[in-house]
Amino acid sequence: MEGDVVLKQGEKDLRRLVIKAFHIDCVDYGTDNKVDAQGRLILNRDVERFLINKEAIASASVKIIRPGEWDLFTNSMMDIIPISTKVLGKIGEGITHTLTGVYVILTGVDVNGVQTAEFGSSEGILKERLYPGRAGTPSEDDFIISFDVTFQAGMGQKRHAVTEAHRMCDAFIQEFRNQMKKFRGDDCTERHEYHDIVRPGKKRVLIIKQVAGQGAMYDTHLFADEPSGAAGGRSIIDMGNMPVLVTPNEYRDGIIRSMQ
Amino acid sequence: MGIGPSTKETTLHHFRDPLLDVVSGDEDLDLMGVLIVGTPDGNEDKMLVGRRAAVWAEAMRTDGVIISADGWGNSDVDFTNTVEELSTRGIAVTGLKFSGTVGKFVVENDYLDGIKDINKSESGTETCVVGENNMTRLDARKVTAILKLKMRRN
Repeated sequence: MEGDVVLKQGEKDLRRLVIKAFHIDCVDYGTDNKVDAQGRLILNRDVERFLINKEAIASASVKIIRPGEWDLFTNSMMDIIPISTKVLGKIGEGITHTLTGVYVILTGVDVNGVQTAEFGSSEGILKERLYPGRAGTPSEDDFIISFDVTFQAGMGQKRHAVTEAHRMCDAFIQEFRNQMKKFRGDDCTERHEYHDIVRPGKKRVLIIKQVAGQGAMYDTHLFADEPSGAAGGRSIIDMGNMPVLVTPNEYRDGIIRSMQ
Repeated sequence: MGIGPSTKETTLHHFRDPLLDVVSGDEDLDLMGVLIVGTPDGNEDKMLVGRRAAVWAEAMRTDGVIISADGWGNSDVDFTNTVEELSTRGIAVTGLKFSGTVGKFVVENDYLDGIKDINKSESGTETCVVGENNMTRLDARKVTAILKLKMRRN
């Protein structure tokens, strides 16, 4: 549950997670990737330096999409990613810093124009292809950082290449995360406190999330090094698709990276 | 069939999942955790992982489960099997899944009465608009309320 916790008799507070949000209201191009706690994010257009596996990925580019500028073409959206980092503790406890007002959209196509998707693709004019304001999508007032990957021929349908694209995008995001770790917590624009609470005597409930686990663009990673991250993640496919239990706070702290 | 743009849950969705917010914020419920289960390819594997999920739930002495999926089609085999494995163990089950007009369960059983369709599109189809057919807070509140009723009956 969220907020200051007042425990009733018999209840037990297992752990606390604090998510501090820093709102970004100015995103621009510049010479270095920079973010500050006063709401400014600067983007370096050169992302080719994050490209390691050239057999999988031919090139990549990054672009700012400002609020109200959704009238442009986008390749198929592989994922939408919040920019979050651990400041204290592991995923699910301690302190996380996250940005609001800006989200990364990872898109993909191959050199022959084949869109990276598994079951229907979302390329087209962005405003016709993105439903704003859902839990998993930006609102119309948010900035979007479009991270567009061009795969080598046929590689957009290969699992290892898709994972590579996520890792490349993650290495880019990590440059912002490293700066966010040093933000003064008091400068946050929102502070959310979450507690995993045991409530003896109440009905015992479990949430089961059935997630993708069959291959390229039908995959789910867990346990990355950073919240909503890719590096260090393990694929549910490699874990035999077997059920894996996470705490409510681990889940809400970004223990899942969606790869479908 | 699999997971299309309009139903897929992005990494951002998992970070801000309305289902978790609603259930964890309900002081009448003791939320124990979130069980993540994959959707394997082969039929035998589908049955196996659903059964293992139900064994987990039973061993945790679970009164009720809310299950959600962001795909449809062959993943219905996993979904309906897991619901059946839970229900036959006496665990109340409700859930969220896209059906619309095109994604009705490809397999059915007697335990699906608590599953709510999360379709939002007028056509009831995979619209290829990212997020359009995602679950919302209202969906989460409905299945939580239905689960409470079911658990009271059990």
